[in-house]
Amino acid sequence: MAEEARIPLLEFRGVNTHYGRIPVLKDVNYKVYPGEIVCLLGGNASGKSTTMKTILGIVKPTTGEVFFDGAVINNMRTAERIKRGIATVPENRRLFPHLTVLENLEMGAYTRSDTAEIAADLERVYEIYPRVYERRSQRAGTLSGGEQQMVAFGRALMSRPRLIIMDEPSMGLAPALVDQSFDTIAEINKQGVAIFVVEQNATAALSIADRGYVLQNGQVVLDGLASEMLENEELKRAYLGG
Amino acid sequence: MATMTARILDFFDRVPRWVYIALALAFAIAFPMLEYFGLIQTLWLRVGTRVLVYVLLAVGLNLVLGETGLLHLGYVAFFAVGAYSTALLSSPRFGLQWNFWVIIAIAMGLAMLFGFLIAVPTLRLRGDYLAIVTLAFGEITRMTLNNWESLTNGPGGIPGIYPPVIFGWTVDSPMEFFYLLLVAVVIIVSLLNNIKNSRIGRAWNALREDEIAAHHSGVRPTHAKMLAVVMSSGIAGLAGAIFAYYQQFINPTYFLFMQSVIVVSMVVLGGMGSIPGAILGAVVLDATPEVIRQAFTSWLPSAVGPNFLPGVQAAMQTEFDRYRMAIFGLVIVLMVVFRPEGLLPNKLWRREVHEEDPRELEKTSQHLFDFEEGKQDLEV
Repeated sequence: MAEEARIPLLEFRGVNTHYGRIPVLKDVNYKVYPGEIVCLLGGNASGKSTTMKTILGIVKPTTGEVFFDGAVINNMRTAERIKRGIATVPENRRLFPHLTVLENLEMGAYTRSDTAEIAADLERVYEIYPRVYERRSQRAGTLSGGEQQMVAFGRALMSRPRLIIMDEPSMGLAPALVDQSFDTIAEINKQGVAIFVVEQNATAALSIADRGYVLQNGQVVLDGLASEMLENEELKRAYLGG
Repeated sequence: MATMTARILDFFDRVPRWVYIALALAFAIAFPMLEYFGLIQTLWLRVGTRVLVYVLLAVGLNLVLGETGLLHLGYVAFFAVGAYSTALLSSPRFGLQWNFWVIIAIAMGLAMLFGFLIAVPTLRLRGDYLAIVTLAFGEITRMTLNNWESLTNGPGGIPGIYPPVIFGWTVDSPMEFFYLLLVAVVIIVSLLNNIKNSRIGRAWNALREDEIAAHHSGVRPTHAKMLAVVMSSGIAGLAGAIFAYYQQFINPTYFLFMQSVIVVSMVVLGGMGSIPGAILGAVVLDATPEVIRQAFTSWLPSAVGPNFLPGVQAAMQTEFDRYRMAIFGLVIVLMVVFRPEGLLPNKLWRREVHEEDPRELEKTSQHLFDFEEGKQDLEV
């Protein structure tokens, strides 16, 4: 494939992780190319959250390498990774409930010091989400789930990321909002941001993704183009409810 | 009733901040004059001086407890470190009388070092665990002071601490100490106010709100918490140093666990994360018991005459201290029930606990009945 010639933005090369002596990820390989949407599927305790934590540097690999933008980042601090262009939309969004929407967005730019540029990015977020602008001085905890989702996306964008990792972005959202939420993800992606998304809602996630990985007991058991995975009979039985 | 309260609150909100600051400062500067011109007893000047020591402690602890949300119950240990640094280096104990600035630097530096050492193993802990470990640390410090007789003279304490000499000015009257402390308070509070509104201040608030989300935003949790603990320890060290100078005598009973609890109460009473709140909390909790005691032992009897409840008067003279803690407890319980955000909350904290605040409600209800989005709101 054409993508293979490019340098991946994020790459796991033979990554193993352990909690104490218990192995979690076992010889895992992922690649996320610039501008791609990659979807990570898997059941409970398959290692999805550990994958997220390893990307952020909260969990360190025992063996293997994590590359970001061509450099090994195994021992890099979380703050430094964020500075280099990784942002997150954490599980359950995790806004700062008693800070205002604006203060939440400002926290997204915590690692930056280019004040003028931050102001410009804030305007950009308000343009994408006029709703967020309306709510800017309200505390984040009083927003509806859909609005909180927008703030969480906005906060991630405020660090000017090249990669956003999303942990179950559709979790806790009303069914009507789930599709809308994936539309938003696709829209963010169009601005050139690569997205690595962990999802239970496999159909919705695969329908916007370029490629996907399936994780089982800490091992990648399947990977391929999202369009092909949507047709995969075995996967359909296991995850797609068909 | 509620709207009346809101209207009054609104009025006080609209008065610019500097007016309050100017008024408080003017009162503080004028206070010792009242004593000087014989308008109040020297007792009140002593109370005022002690209040200022507590103000330093309360604004210092607020950094950790209020801004960063860490329940630190061993705060008195840093106060003790500062006080003992002064006592050992400026008393006949070892025949030393070091320069005031050097001693202040050592007291603060040593307290910060202690803060750092205790922070290293404990900052990974959260909530209750942190409280228990810091509580134990406070007690260990006090017991060490109590038992390390060759250094601290144990329970006998260190008497005869020499007064400080600052650029040739010997500080040795309550009035002078009051002003010395006032200068320290003004410097520390203005520093803290700047820090509160800086990047690190934001990081502390974010950590208090949600540590994981803060971490994901690029805050280094341990690093930021460490900074809060070390800075607040330094402030306690400063308070301890001046306290020892003022008191001229210290022993380990000045540094009981109860002192930590009192300072925590001051921060909670005033309003967590609010500097004016911490100051008010210190004033109220330290001065009120004295006012009550005076009311029953002196003012009321002299107003009512010799027939004023002789039993109560005697009890107040001897027993009052025993009930002080019970009254403290009652005040804190009443606070938690009726005004959980504290006496002078910062805006953020008020938002947090008073969802039914009419100004808040206005925004929320507008949002709840927004039919365009109403469907979403119901489901999520």
